[in-house]
Amino acid sequence: MKWLKLGKIFDPTAHTLAHNCHEFAQSPQTLVKSDRVRVYFSTREKDSVGKYLSHVAFVDFDTSMRNIIAVSNHTVIELGQLGCFDEHGIFPINVLRDGDRVLAYTAGWNRKVSVSVDASIGLAISHDDGFTFQKHGNGPIMAASLKEPFLIGDAFVAFYGRLYHMWYIYGTKWKKFAQSDPPDRVYKIAHATSEDGINWHRDGRQIIADRLNADECQALPTVIELGGVYHMYFCYRQAHGFRTRRDDAYRIGYAYSDDLISWKRDDSNAGIDVSEDGWDSQMQCYPHVFKSGQNTYLLYNGNEFGRFGFGLAVLEK
Amino acid sequence: MFRWEKLGRIFDPREHKGGSWMREFAQSPSALIYETHVRVYFCSRPAPASDGQYLSYLSYIDLNRKNLLEILNVCTEPILGLGAYGTFDEFGTNPISVIRDQGEVRAYYAGWTRCESVPFNAALGLAISRDDGASFARLGEGPVLSYSPDEPFLLGSPRIRKYGGNWHLWYVSGKQWLRTDGGKPEPVYRIRMASSEDGINWVKFGRDLLESRLGEHECQACPDVIFHGNKYHMFFCYRHSHHYKGKEGGYRIGYASSVDMLNWSRCDEIAGMSVSETGWDSEMVSYPHVFMLDGETYMLYQGNEMGRCGFGLAKLDSSQNWSEN
Repeated sequence: MKWLKLGKIFDPTAHTLAHNCHEFAQSPQTLVKSDRVRVYFSTREKDSVGKYLSHVAFVDFDTSMRNIIAVSNHTVIELGQLGCFDEHGIFPINVLRDGDRVLAYTAGWNRKVSVSVDASIGLAISHDDGFTFQKHGNGPIMAASLKEPFLIGDAFVAFYGRLYHMWYIYGTKWKKFAQSDPPDRVYKIAHATSEDGINWHRDGRQIIADRLNADECQALPTVIELGGVYHMYFCYRQAHGFRTRRDDAYRIGYAYSDDLISWKRDDSNAGIDVSEDGWDSQMQCYPHVFKSGQNTYLLYNGNEFGRFGFGLAVLEK
Repeated sequence: MFRWEKLGRIFDPREHKGGSWMREFAQSPSALIYETHVRVYFCSRPAPASDGQYLSYLSYIDLNRKNLLEILNVCTEPILGLGAYGTFDEFGTNPISVIRDQGEVRAYYAGWTRCESVPFNAALGLAISRDDGASFARLGEGPVLSYSPDEPFLLGSPRIRKYGGNWHLWYVSGKQWLRTDGGKPEPVYRIRMASSEDGINWVKFGRDLLESRLGEHECQACPDVIFHGNKYHMFFCYRHSHHYKGKEGGYRIGYASSVDMLNWSRCDEIAGMSVSETGWDSEMVSYPHVFMLDGETYMLYQGNEMGRCGFGLAKLDSSQNWSEN
């Protein structure tokens, strides 16, 4: 695999977004339409106590991915009510066309006391081709379970062989690495299947081998089938120091599978790495692979977890 | 109407000089019957932290089977530690319901966690004992029953039963957090049910089982079910969502019956267990647990201040005709 970088294609600070969001366009994910590619992302407002709330927004590109047609300035999906799993943010959102509906798998965030946050996966449904989404209930479709105690998120759903497949992450521990720092989280990639996209079967098993160490954090899996092989891109980092140290920050990893069950990790074949300088020189994260026309594209975030937008790469043929 | 004879308070944690984790509160009594004694599991609390917040630990006392008013033994440490950083039961284990199964004892409990916008959240955990109920270990670090689209938060008050080879769990689910004037938000929760073949993987029934009596903000808890005379009988407690810490809006014990475990007729009037004129259960009665022992039927329940000063026992009139209910 070899990706040709096309550079940063969206900067949230250059646009007017709803909810007073100025910065962050994280985890770009697409809904491909006949005349455009809609890219959903999570952007942030600061609330009254100075903490972030993540909101979903979108930008429409023409099919060349070169020109912006429109940017949302409405509420795409409401945050949750008081005490609900998605009260303090939705990040990321993964969309899947399903007949005349569009399904959205969200990670909802809620703030806690001993640790900063928890997350669960929710479902929302659009009946206006992805302009707005209504929630399937106030609670999540996938929450913590016996073997997945917290931080359930980053769903990516695809339909293969008459089953919905979900790749997602679950937290394994909160760990204090330094006495002066708050605890950091560790999370891993897992897989679930469903007949209806609502009720999921899962076994809480890590499916991607660790490369850095047992505390490696793995996030945002995205899966695409090319030439009869399933390819997964994801991002991974050290559990501690990842915000400030370039070498410990997110990188894009890669694995492949013939059967959607067992995956062989091969980061050396990811075909993309951080740049020498510029917007994606410190980190690369939140990959999303999609096909449009004759091309296969990779959207991803760069430095500062996407504070100043996302970029695009195209698969070399 | 059920005719209960109150036998009085049988345990007050404040009078027991045990560990610091059992300073006050003895909540949610749940009985397990042994050859010579009846073990009553309950939830007790250490002194609150400087911010006023409480932890809650699982504990037990042993009562003489021949004389339930006699305490033979009090556990010397909690039967389960609290959960690790960030887990659902990091800040408390309360309430509890226990059951024997094939040489093991299972404890289903609600785990407490603390949140920013609302004071707390809860989900249901499972811990198993292989030493006949003396100590317990979690089956996993996460909950055995957690949130779903129409049960968004506050899964609590588990009561575990096994009927006809299947496991049944009655519990409550939060419906709404109500904002209050200047104070902490207050939750509304209602009684629900789930079934399972193994007690681990659950299918939720997905519907409130009881109609509300106090309006849309009624809180219901502790759905304690007992099968007798071809009918399922549920004793539970209910209260207002505001001003419930005194006599006026505090918990009362209600009753409902069902032939299929799913459809319930509520009839609080015949529960037969109300507050006393004076004393330890004069302001509220709650968290009923009904069990049969040596030909008699008993109810354990907690009294004033949500069980701060312990729980008591009542005995059903032996001439009680259950089928008239």
